[in-house]
Formats: sequence, structure tokens, C-alpha cells
Amino acid sequence: MTLDNRKIKKIGIPRAISYYTNYPFYYGFFNALGVEVVLSDKTTAEIIKNGNKYVASETCLPIKVFVGHVVNLLEKGITDIFIPSIQSTGYKINNCSKIRGLPEIIRNVIDKPFNMIEPTFDKTEKIGFKDFWLDTANSLGITDKKLIKQAIETGWECYDNFREMTENGIGYTTALNNAINGICEKKNMQLVKPISVAIMAHGYNLFDERISLNLIKKLEKMDIKVYTSLNVSRQDSIDALNELDETQYWANELDLTGVAAHYLIKQKIDGIVALSAFGCGPDSLMIDEIEHHAKDCNVPLLHLNIDEHTGEAGFITRLEAFADMLLRKKRQKLKYIESEEQVNSQPQKQKVLLTVK
Amino acid sequence: MKNSKEKQFYKERYAQQDHSIATKDRVVAWPRMGNIDLSMGALVSSLGAKIVMPPQNTNKALEIGVKNSIEGICLPYKLNLANYIMALENGANTLMMFQAPGSCRFGNYTKMAQKTLKKLGYKFDMCVFDMYQSKMKQTLEAFWHVTRCLNPYRYYKGFSTGFNKAFAIDKAEKLMFYTRPRELNKGDAEKCYKKWYEIIRETTSVRECKKLKQRVIEDFAKIPIDKDKIVPTVYLLGEFFVLLDPYTNQEIEKTLGELGIEVQRQIFFSDWLEHVLQPSIFYKKESHRQRCVRFAKDYMKRAIGGECLETVGDSVFAAKNGIDGIIHIMPFSCMPEIVAQNILPKVSRQENIPILELVLDEQTGKAGNITRIEAFADLIKRRKIVNSKL
Repeated sequence: MTLDNRKIKKIGIPRAISYYTNYPFYYGFFNALGVEVVLSDKTTAEIIKNGNKYVASETCLPIKVFVGHVVNLLEKGITDIFIPSIQSTGYKINNCSKIRGLPEIIRNVIDKPFNMIEPTFDKTEKIGFKDFWLDTANSLGITDKKLIKQAIETGWECYDNFREMTENGIGYTTALNNAINGICEKKNMQLVKPISVAIMAHGYNLFDERISLNLIKKLEKMDIKVYTSLNVSRQDSIDALNELDETQYWANELDLTGVAAHYLIKQKIDGIVALSAFGCGPDSLMIDEIEHHAKDCNVPLLHLNIDEHTGEAGFITRLEAFADMLLRKKRQKLKYIESEEQVNSQPQKQKVLLTVK
Repeated sequence: MKNSKEKQFYKERYAQQDHSIATKDRVVAWPRMGNIDLSMGALVSSLGAKIVMPPQNTNKALEIGVKNSIEGICLPYKLNLANYIMALENGANTLMMFQAPGSCRFGNYTKMAQKTLKKLGYKFDMCVFDMYQSKMKQTLEAFWHVTRCLNPYRYYKGFSTGFNKAFAIDKAEKLMFYTRPRELNKGDAEKCYKKWYEIIRETTSVRECKKLKQRVIEDFAKIPIDKDKIVPTVYLLGEFFVLLDPYTNQEIEKTLGELGIEVQRQIFFSDWLEHVLQPSIFYKKESHRQRCVRFAKDYMKRAIGGECLETVGDSVFAAKNGIDGIIHIMPFSCMPEIVAQNILPKVSRQENIPILELVLDEQTGKAGNITRIEAFADLIKRRKIVNSKL
């Protein structure tokens, strides 16, 4: 793992943890520097099994998956792997210890020779965004400051396009592909469906089709509109959290509490689905926090816990039961509103038919 | 030097303080953690506030804690919450707690506990102060808020007796660890420690407290011991609370001592107090943390919160200083210690030192752990004998 003065041409990015939220930026940045980005394969049972072999049994599923992806990259023959340590995104707003210590885990768990590019992002210790990318570029053997500055700008452009598309309601995969290809679709894709649900989950759990067992698609098949953290802008979720009298404590808290708080306040949703990995420390607190507020707003919450042994059948049963419950609840509510309107002698002929495919 | 965000951060914290309770009506309580009650008790009572101690951690306390906290939170929180509830039941109205935000879930404890206690219908004032990077000022502010004591002599007396009591009790504990495996009459060390615990608790005058440590050393020297016995040494490492709380760690030190193994613990309340509270200018020695950073640098390049870095650093330190084994204990789902757990196998391999992992939670059975500890004890004893013959 020593650093020599060669220029690195190829960089491997594991398809896990920060990939799911930051990949457009990574792609834009590395491409502008002239470094080819190689991704690991999509998560499979094999990758999870490989990850399991290396780490301690107590480690949570996303980290096991991350290790599996690193192993996958090494099998592909990539020797330079990008493993950032994102410590804190604000003063004393820290990440989970396991994400902070990702390079430490990988360094000690995998004893094959490879070069790890491990920049640190730590606002508490005043290691800012620019230092983070300078460090990255320097470990790639690039020291041209002007080029790096340009690359950061390209990265932002890519990322902003991605966020703009997702905030307009375009699905994750399409938005990602478009952003990478430099396309920014401006059209609005807000579908109207009988019931809508907000999912509170980290990007690396939700958008990984193997880990989340295709949760989004499953819900959409039941004719449920799904809101995720990508549909809400950062500022909106912070505002919503403040409105609920909560303060941000975890760096990736907005993926969970932010999105739930936003839609709770806007009263746009009929239910919340929380997806968390077994043994996840931050999630256990955040879901509890939102549970209080959801109870106050009379919004039901379904908590799904996942680990490497999660069976798909049990998952579907729970989702179906939850969807049925939401539907019944909504019908009753609409009936109640209708009867209220009749009492108030304001006849309005507006019937909403709710059906599930 | 503080920027606006930092200011905002502290403003939010202190906005929580409740001024509606009159100073003379305050009854102060704090959660249990090792022997912290000796020093805190000395300080708070010297400042003139009434104290209620929550009862010792027992199964009953844990039951209360488990009943009122969420499923996924770690064990120390459950016990802390139980302490609060039991203290409030016994008439306390002011709860004191220190915290270090941004380390791990520990930074969220007070926030969650406040919510839960309010929901249970208790009326109280929670006074939170930070204890990291020599935050003496905030600690003083917290005590000022609770006691409104203006007399500087009382502060001096409180801190002086508190510190000296912490040093004395920790010295007694260290000596007990040394004496227990070597003692000729079984139970002597334990008896001596218990006797001194009572004496240290009863002592109140500044002058007497300063002498305590010396008297403890002299008294332990009187216990007859077998000096030539080959006693393997074990480092006890891991999460702070679990190490200091005898209920949670199932008196692992006693179990080991009775198996004829000397225990050394790197984390003592007094050491931590010394380097946390003293302004960094006056602290010339290499602190425990600096030493850990130095020794762990082959394995870890950055601190990741909690005691992960200390665990790894101490393990390497132990291996390089002729310690025979390491026992790493942690509460279930503790995030920093899981990282340490992933790193320790490599340390064990490269530094050639046996490491035993014990994960503790409310479901832990004592029998299973004792079997593992006994097997580990046999292993290091055999290693010690083989190594000494070489």
C-alpha cells in the first residue's frame, strides 16, 4: 500500500455506501482528471458471501457488502481503489463509526497488496471539501491545481444535474444514467397515485436492489407512489427537521429523518416505510425519533429490518398488509370527509375510486 | 476563535436548562459509572447540594431500562435510563450527565433520556456538560447552574477531594488487581478493597483526602502474597462504560483474578479525569490518547469516535510490553468497537498476542462467558510457561 510517483490511470469504485448518493460527482470529477472509473458488479449473493468471509460477524450488512465489492474489484485486477472516509459534514455532525472507519476496516481485513486512495472529509477538524479532493488527486499523482479545480466544478455540474432530475421525480437509475451521459431532463414526472408512501432509508440500503430486495419496485407494483430522500432537496429537509424541533446529529441523517419530516409536515403521505440494516446504530435512534412524530400526525410507520438472511416472501407479506391497511384507512378518511361535506350541505360530486391492481 | 456554527451548537445545548427549580430545593442525581459517585458526591456535596444516589445496577434496574428504551439502543443507555428513573423515584429533581457529542450514540443519550422521562411524566431539570478537550469552563458552568455556589474555597475543596478520592480508589483497584492472583489467604485483597472503599467514601476533609492514596498503598503492602508465583497478565480493553461497570462486565476482573491472572486496565476514571479536565498547556506528559495514536498508526490512520483507537493502540502497546493476553469487551452493537473487532484479528496475528472477544448485552449468560474465560486463561498460562522455558 505504498505510494509511488506514478500516475494512476484507472480507479476502482466499490458499488456500495457512498456510491449510491455521490457517484455522479465521483464520475464527473475523475473523468475530468482523465482517470477511468471502474465500478464493481452489482450486488449479488456471491458478493455478500465474499464480504462475510472477511469481516467480524457483528458488522452490519452494508459494510459486509462494501467489503464484498472491494474483493470484487480486486478480482477484476484493479489495484487502486477509492475508499473515502467521510467523518463529518458539519461541526460535530458525524457519521457512523463504521463509515468513518471504512479505510481502517478494509486495510486490516483484506491482506492483499493494493493501493487504497483514502481521503478524509472532516468539517469538525476543518478538513473541508477542497482538501478532500486535493488529497484524492494528489494520491492519484495529479498536482495541477487548476485542473483539480476544474474537475471539482465538473463534478458539481454532474451532481447538480442528478439531483435536479431526482427532485423532479425521475427514478434513480434513469437519473443516474442521464447525469453520467451529461443529459439533464427538465420535464416534471410527478405521477398521481391513490396512496403515497415515504421511504426513510440510507441510499446504500434503498437503491441497492439486492439489499433492499427491490423495495421501490415492489411498492410501485402495488400502485403506491414512493417518495425517497432524493426527491427532497437538502435545504428542505433541514428546514423540515427544524420545524419538528429536532437537530441534525448524524451526517447522513437527512436520508431518513429529513425526508420523513418533510413529507409529514407537507401532509403528502399516507404512511412511512423505514428500511434499516440489522444492528444499525444511528438508524435505531432516527426511526424512533420519527416514530414519535408520526404518531402525533396519525401516520402509520412500517419498520423493515434487513440482514443477509432476509427472505423475500416475508418481506412481501408485510408490505402487502401495510398497503392494504393504508388503503382502508384512506377510504375511511375520504368517507368521513364526504359525510362531513353532506352535513355542511355543500354537495360536491367528487368521488375517488381506490383500487389496487 | 469559535465560529458561528459552534456558537449555535452550544446555544442549543444550554437552552435546555431549566431555571424553575429553586437552588435550595435541588436534589442532584447522576447515572452510575464505575466509581464516579465517590468524586461527584464529594464535589456536589461540598458545593452544598443534596444528593440522591440511584441504587446499584442490578437485574431489576436493567429490566426498568429495557422496558422504557427502544430495541436497538446499546446497553449503557438502558442502564443510564434506569438510573435516572430510580433516582427520580427516590426524590431527585436535577439530573447531571456529561457527554461527548459526535463520538457515537453516546452523544444522543441525554436527548433521548429527556424525551423518554418527560413522556413518563417526571418533572426534572437535566444539566448536561461536555467533558472533552479540557472543557473545564463548561464543567464549572454546569455546577454553578445547579448549586449557585459563590464560595471559591468550596469549589477548591470539592475538586481537590474529588480528584484525590478518584486517585485513591483507582490506586486501590490497581493494587487489588495485582494482589488478588498472588494472595496467600483467598479473599484478602477483596476485603481490603471494600474496607478502603468505605473509608474513602466517608472521608471529607481536604487534608485527609490527600493522604488517602499513600495510606491505601501502605495497607495493601501488608497483605501476604506469594512473590515468586508465575502470574500471567491480561489487558482488559474495550468500551468505557462496560469496563468500569462491574454489573455489566459480570465482575470479569474478579473471575480472572481468582483464576490466577493479573488484570491490567488501561482506562481508569482518574487518568481520564486528569487529562480531560486539565488545560492542555499544563499537561506535559504524553497522554493516553497520544500514546494510542502512536502505537496504532500501523493499523489506523484516523480516529473514528468512541474508544476504537484506544483499544487498538493499547493492544499493540500490550504486545510490545510483554503482556500475555488481551480481553476485549464491548456492549452489543457498539459501533466503534465493531471496527476495533475487525482490526484486532490482524493485530493478534502480527504482534503474536492472543485476544478474546466478549460481547455483552442483557441476554448474556454468565456461564457461557466463564467457560470462554477459563479456556482463555488456560491458554495464556500454557503460553507463559512455554515462553519462560525458552
